[in-house]
Amino acid sequence: MKSSFSRQNIYLFTLCLFLLVFVLVFSFAVLIPEGKDYRLKRGELKKENLELKQLSDFAIEKEVILQKLQDDNSHAIKAFENEFSSDKFKKQHQGFFSALSITKKSQLGDEDGFSVYEVNTTSEISSPKSFYDFLDAVNKSNWIIAVNFPIAFKRDGEMIDSSFTMRVYNNKDSNSSK
Amino acid sequence: MRYSYINPRKKSVFTKEIQLLFTFFSVTLFMLFSTYAFLIFKDQRFMQEMSDIKMQKEENRANIVKMNSEIATIEKQLLLSEKIFTKNSVLRDSINNLFDLVPSRITLSEAKIMENALILHGITPNKDVYNFMLQAPLRSIFHRTYSSFYPAQNGWLRFVSTNYIDNEEGLSSEE
Repeated sequence: MKSSFSRQNIYLFTLCLFLLVFVLVFSFAVLIPEGKDYRLKRGELKKENLELKQLSDFAIEKEVILQKLQDDNSHAIKAFENEFSSDKFKKQHQGFFSALSITKKSQLGDEDGFSVYEVNTTSEISSPKSFYDFLDAVNKSNWIIAVNFPIAFKRDGEMIDSSFTMRVYNNKDSNSSK
Repeated sequence: MRYSYINPRKKSVFTKEIQLLFTFFSVTLFMLFSTYAFLIFKDQRFMQEMSDIKMQKEENRANIVKMNSEIATIEKQLLLSEKIFTKNSVLRDSINNLFDLVPSRITLSEAKIMENALILHGITPNKDVYNFMLQAPLRSIFHRTYSSFYPAQNGWLRFVSTNYIDNEEGLSSEE
């Protein structure tokens, strides 16, 4: 019995079979795993993007809080950065006193993470009210100052001699950088 | 000698079947390879994006840590400044109250205010005025009050009043 397939058809069939096998092998061995990998990575990227967005939102939230804190309390923040200057202090507060002298003492050390130094003050006031006004003004001054004990008042004719100590608080780093 | 009336057609390797087969497989292979190229390209993009996201996340985390530290510092500063401002205001009120405590008939010449003590020097017309009008309110504020008198030139009495507040530790140790 003679075969009805010609030689050309056999070549054609072989080529067709070879290409089909190649397409199938390539699809199953390379494309499908690569496609699965692509889907996985796409999911992972989506997750990472979501995490990044959450982190960015959180950072923005923190920035808003920080900005608000800085805006609302700029006076106190700047006051902690300013180094105490006797001349500037006198210039700002001499209006409350008839005479004012300040002696800067050595640094006391650290308190609650801030550097503290003490300043001795002697002054002359016409009435206790000047001292009260001074205490009000100290809270609005360019430095963080705590008026400290002992406070002494002594009558000298129509005037009152007063002496007291003040503690000036500074940021540790701002003090060391100066 | 001719055996046919028609001319023989040219024979080619690329028969119609071969052409069809090549067209079909070319399209198929092109689609397969282009899909593969797309996947490889996307893979590269994903890696690049992942690396960018990782960097941005690190930056954000570092920023958040920095901002947290700044917020903590500011809150600490605020707490201390509030404490100091309150202390100054309390001191102001305390001195104001102290001077309000002194009746008009008694004149103070010196006052020394310490953390747990108050020393007053002054002049009083007599002991009773001092005892009723100054010592009594002082006694209600301080735990221990000592007074000494000596005569002044105009017949009035000079006094020194020393007043102490015993702190809790002192009291408990005494007990």
